[in-house]
Amino acid sequence: MRVKNYYYASSLEDAFSRLHESNKNAIIAGGLWMKKTAQEYDTLIDLSKLGLDKIEDKKDEVVVGAMVTLREFEHSPVIQSLNSGMTAFAVREVMGLQFRNMATIGGSIFGRYPFSDVIAGLIVLDVALHFYPEAKMSLVDYLSYKGKYDGILTHISIKKDNAKGYFKKVKATALDFPLLNISISKRNNKLYIALGSRPMTAALCLKAMDYLDKNPVDDEAINKASEIACEELMFSDSTNISKEYRIDLAKVYIRRGLKEVL
Amino acid sequence: MTLTCYVNGVLRTFDVTPDEYLADTLRRNGFFSVREGCNESACGACTVLLDDKPVLSCSILSAKAEGKHITTVDGIQDEAKKLSHCFAEEGADQCGYCNVGFALTVYSLKKHNKNATDEEIKEYIVGNLCRCTGYQSQLKAIKAYLKGE
Ligand SMILES: Cc1cc2nc3c(=O)[nH]c(=O)nc-3n(C[C@H](O)[C@H](O)[C@H](O)COP(=O)(O)OP(=O)(O)OC[C@H]3O[C@@H](n4cnc5c(N)ncnc54)[C@H](O)[C@@H]3O)c2cc1C
Repeated sequence: MRVKNYYYASSLEDAFSRLHESNKNAIIAGGLWMKKTAQEYDTLIDLSKLGLDKIEDKKDEVVVGAMVTLREFEHSPVIQSLNSGMTAFAVREVMGLQFRNMATIGGSIFGRYPFSDVIAGLIVLDVALHFYPEAKMSLVDYLSYKGKYDGILTHISIKKDNAKGYFKKVKATALDFPLLNISISKRNNKLYIALGSRPMTAALCLKAMDYLDKNPVDDEAINKASEIACEELMFSDSTNISKEYRIDLAKVYIRRGLKEVL
Repeated sequence: MTLTCYVNGVLRTFDVTPDEYLADTLRRNGFFSVREGCNESACGACTVLLDDKPVLSCSILSAKAEGKHITTVDGIQDEAKKLSHCFAEEGADQCGYCNVGFALTVYSLKKHNKNATDEEIKEYIVGNLCRCTGYQSQLKAIKAYLKGE
């Protein structure tokens, strides 16, 4: 990564106008993913001084600033209380503690990384993204948004539903990217299943969820749902895992996860 | 651009480029205890404390340290000696390259969670790779250090 200028924004308005001064300007959060790219930037715009590093426990939702680090997120008691701790757990599965003291929630979501444990952990909950200039979009809609979104992610809000969760990151070593991630939640009596790192970005298994909604959830229905989930989403090979093995793993962990949250 | 920050409690000003990483700034200015390993955000050898939190100095832009407190192992010499004594007692190091990163991470653990369980210790040090040992001896050494033995 090559950078000509580093700039601390004084307000969101200031950050946004700087961002659009040149198509070689960019927002920097933790900067960890940006380090991995060979991009050249005119100006990196740092949001650290805009107070976007707070987690607020409100009546019905938790509001998480875009600059909250993964470590702050996973450590927050209110985040740990969501989804029986599984959303915090998913984030704790990312790299080591030093890394998570730097990487942010905003950078992790805005980047829509296909392997993201953060996104997989969140997508089974009711999560909205909030941008500057003022706009709101569900996480699910943002993931299928065509092209790069123009605004600045300021915070996310997570509904405080009564939920029981399951999360599994399949990885070769402790610090590895996931070969597959499986996220399940039983929320307001409905079952949500998501698969990520197939290697595509996490997505809800809508047909499997619909099937479970319409049928008594017994062993047979769980088996069937795991089959449907693997048929409705795309899987492919990566260098260290085949498409077939990914599908086999997904079925097993969906079954385990569903049994765990029931 | 200039970076003004505290290194081991001393106010310092450094000339840095906007794309310079903290490990490079520190080493260029004589803080040779800061070690670069993988330079890929993975091994933890370059760990320093930024405002008391362990971070990877190979992957944090120097500009991000503006106004902050950086601690290298030179700034925690007494604690580092105690830990290296425990490491020696348990045969927990061989080449020693990862020690500095371990020392800073474990020092931070002691400050934040002195009574850490085995699981909490493992979770804390998962980002510090050691290519010589099998981590068991380090786990024992860290437990002894936390207990103050
Ligand atoms: C070596 C390595 C291993 C990793 N392993 C995993 C893993 O196993 N699991 C996992 O889930 N993740 C993993 N990640 C991803 C990591 O967790 C973060 O998601 C990633 O680094 C992005 O977070 P960041 O704060 O560093 O963002 P940055 O790198 O600073 O930014 C990422 C992108 O988002 C843009 N951006 C950032 N914040 C905003 C904002 N508020 N508004 C608008 N645009 C914004 C930036 O311009 C940039 O394009 C890994 C990353 C690395 C480098």
